[in-house]
Amino acid sequence: MNFKNLFIYWRTVLMVAEMTIRQQLNDGFVIFTILLQPMIIAILGLYMLKDKGPQYAMFVVVGSGLTGLWSSLLFISGNSISWERWGGMLEALVGVPTPFEVIVFGKNLANVIQSLLSMIVAYIFAALFFGYSLNIDQPFLFILSLVLSVFAFISFGLTIAPVFVMYRGVQQWQNAMEFPIYILAGFLFPIALLPNWTTPISYFLPPYWAARALHGTSTAGASLEQTLLAWGMMIVFSIIDLFIASWLFKVMLYKARVDATLNTE
Amino acid sequence: MMNAIVINHLRRVYRATIGVIRRSIKEVVAVDDISFEIGEGELFGLLGPNGAGKTTTVKVLATLLIPNSGSVSILGFDIVKDANEVRKRIGFIFGGERGLYWRLSGIDNLRYFASLYHVDPDVAKKRIPYLLELVGLKDRGNERAEGYSRGMKQRLHVARTLLHDPGILFLDEPTIGLDPVGAREFRQVILDLQSENKTILLTTHYMFEADSLCQRIAIIDQGRIVALDTPAGLKKHVSDLSVIEVEIYGAPQQVIDGLRALSFVDSLSVEERDQRQMLLVQTPRGAEAVPDVMSALNGQRIGRVIVREPTLEDAYVRLVGGKV
Amino acid sequence: MRTIVNNLRLFWQGTLLSYIALFAWLRPVTYLASKIVMPLAQMLFFTFLGTFATGSGNAHFYVIGNAIQIAAVSGIYGVTLSIGGDRWAGTLPYLFGTPANRLVLFFGRAFMHIIDGALGVVVAFTWGVVLLGLDLSHTNLPALALTITVATISTCGLGLLMGCLSLITANVMFVNNTVYFALLLFSGANVDINSLPVFMRAISYALPLTRGILSARLLIAGKSLSEAMPLILGELGIGLIYGVLGYFLFMWFEVVAKRRGTLDLV
Repeated sequence: MNFKNLFIYWRTVLMVAEMTIRQQLNDGFVIFTILLQPMIIAILGLYMLKDKGPQYAMFVVVGSGLTGLWSSLLFISGNSISWERWGGMLEALVGVPTPFEVIVFGKNLANVIQSLLSMIVAYIFAALFFGYSLNIDQPFLFILSLVLSVFAFISFGLTIAPVFVMYRGVQQWQNAMEFPIYILAGFLFPIALLPNWTTPISYFLPPYWAARALHGTSTAGASLEQTLLAWGMMIVFSIIDLFIASWLFKVMLYKARVDATLNTE
Repeated sequence: MMNAIVINHLRRVYRATIGVIRRSIKEVVAVDDISFEIGEGELFGLLGPNGAGKTTTVKVLATLLIPNSGSVSILGFDIVKDANEVRKRIGFIFGGERGLYWRLSGIDNLRYFASLYHVDPDVAKKRIPYLLELVGLKDRGNERAEGYSRGMKQRLHVARTLLHDPGILFLDEPTIGLDPVGAREFRQVILDLQSENKTILLTTHYMFEADSLCQRIAIIDQGRIVALDTPAGLKKHVSDLSVIEVEIYGAPQQVIDGLRALSFVDSLSVEERDQRQMLLVQTPRGAEAVPDVMSALNGQRIGRVIVREPTLEDAYVRLVGGKV
Repeated sequence: MRTIVNNLRLFWQGTLLSYIALFAWLRPVTYLASKIVMPLAQMLFFTFLGTFATGSGNAHFYVIGNAIQIAAVSGIYGVTLSIGGDRWAGTLPYLFGTPANRLVLFFGRAFMHIIDGALGVVVAFTWGVVLLGLDLSHTNLPALALTITVATISTCGLGLLMGCLSLITANVMFVNNTVYFALLLFSGANVDINSLPVFMRAISYALPLTRGILSARLLIAGKSLSEAMPLILGELGIGLIYGVLGYFLFMWFEVVAKRRGTLDLV
């Protein structure tokens, strides 16, 4: 049911994404999370991994971009519904015929695209200031990996936002959820470094598969099989997440309308 | 005439948790078993004091609140089961600061909502300038909405609500906060909309507004409908009464209570106006009761005294129990 | 005598109030998350990244660096917000309208966060020992405690300056977050500052935590207090400079705001 909506309302998704980007252009918190933080992590990574060789520059660029993607998903997409509520807009957004999850999908799309921007900026920065020549091993597969990663992250984000709204207890751990995903998803170092019992947890995280695909096609020389596996997992997770999100939104909106919490008064 | 909106024994309760350590739940019945219908093309007023349940009722109709019991159907669609079908056919304004993106321009707001209402882009392209002109914002469309005056914001709300050309409109206290000129212009807009055969539910606590605009009025107080009739019909409730208006300067409460207690006084309401109070005494005795009223107010400083026919306002006061 | 008692009372009240205000804004669970879980997560991330980069034998380098760096949480988020908080609560005019001793008022804000910050660093070190194999057996523990305290004082000093700056900027959290992350880079927590270009190293030495981290690394490697002392004193000095700068900014701010009538800058 949910996929049908994404096709019917594709124009709306793009419009929401456009408006979200324009509104967030001078929001300090957004600029920091999407641009500055990944940049500083990139610089840190470049210095820390300097001795491992110049091929690690691209690894750092991709890895820091992924950290930006996750942080923006956690903080910006995660809070997007709450922010609309605090801004007094939630009622207006729920009262329209467009399903609310389509609107949030559009917002997540905006955030993910903005985060990819940080990856590009890190790329340029690493090339200019550090003088690294940054090669992508398998450019075509890398681009495809990016597209699939975008969907995987957006879908994952769609499940996070309503959970935060409904379970304030979970949202309180928001700050503590940033770095653990960096670790478990293997953004800037392989999960082989971690104790074995964490590996299953990593396998359940869409960001992990995104990292595998992106690192694999840019620097790690992954075989086609390995890349297809990562893609397959991302697609599976995207579909599962969209279903879960659909259900979560239904529950959240019903509860909000029963409890009269669409508005903050 | 078909019924556009059917409300059946609607009940809506708010629960609030009080206290941090020892929590207790307080229940407030906002809408207590109300039922009425609104016909297609009708301009219907929901009139009541603050906290009467007007906004709650409108929010239920706008599919933003779910009833605790009872049902509501709009154009045959149930507001809970067919919420999306309802949303395609209604527009609502709660007014004020909520409901528009102030960082975006007027035009961008309309483009955004046109898309959310799934209006065809070609249609939207023509309709947006038309609506801006209709509400008098044609030259200010490119400015950020945060720079608009209160009246302009309200008008932008109207434009937003008409984007998908809904047949039914809910206007919740739309003229509140507007200056008299702006409010009068807004009322004309409402009449224009009604002439296009739109069904309009207007909530307000301004008596004269309901009187001048609405074809039928439901008076709501403490969550219950205390009367439902045309304005003329409501005035008949008080046709047996005259109203004595006494302008008084700072009467103590016991004097007012004493006056209220008099046998010929049907009801007494007090309006505060700066340093003066206006006592509105409803009595069937009319002008001949004036000397008795004066003696009850013995010793107080009195300004004007007027005897007049009752208005809708007086009917309202009587029905709502003089607690205004 | 009376003045001393009054000032002490003012100091204590300001301290307590700013701490309570912090708790009112921050729920207990969130506080727990940021005091115990977040430092661990940050340490784990950088330690793993560090060992990936330079080998598992160097884990302690990153553990020590990040443990001390945790002081920045209290210094930046705690202190800065407790000063900036007055602006948002609209209580600045009331504050400035009193004859209270400004010095005591100002530094009182930081006091509680110094204790809180030091506690956070100790928690981080505990994680380091328990989970990441940090070996404190050769360490002069009192000297380490001194280093921790001084590092916390130092970041709180920076926090005081940033707090005053936040009274005039709009994007407070933006600045806070940027400085916090910049410290991850410049403080040498994760990178040997000698490998940084000269201009960056200069920035490192102008910031708090750099000397504190160097001192902690020295002490845990078994060096004596006397060897670490110059670094500790330098750290303390930096902190005081920032604190004093902040204080003067605070005073200047009051004068200008009163002159221009812009106390309610919100």
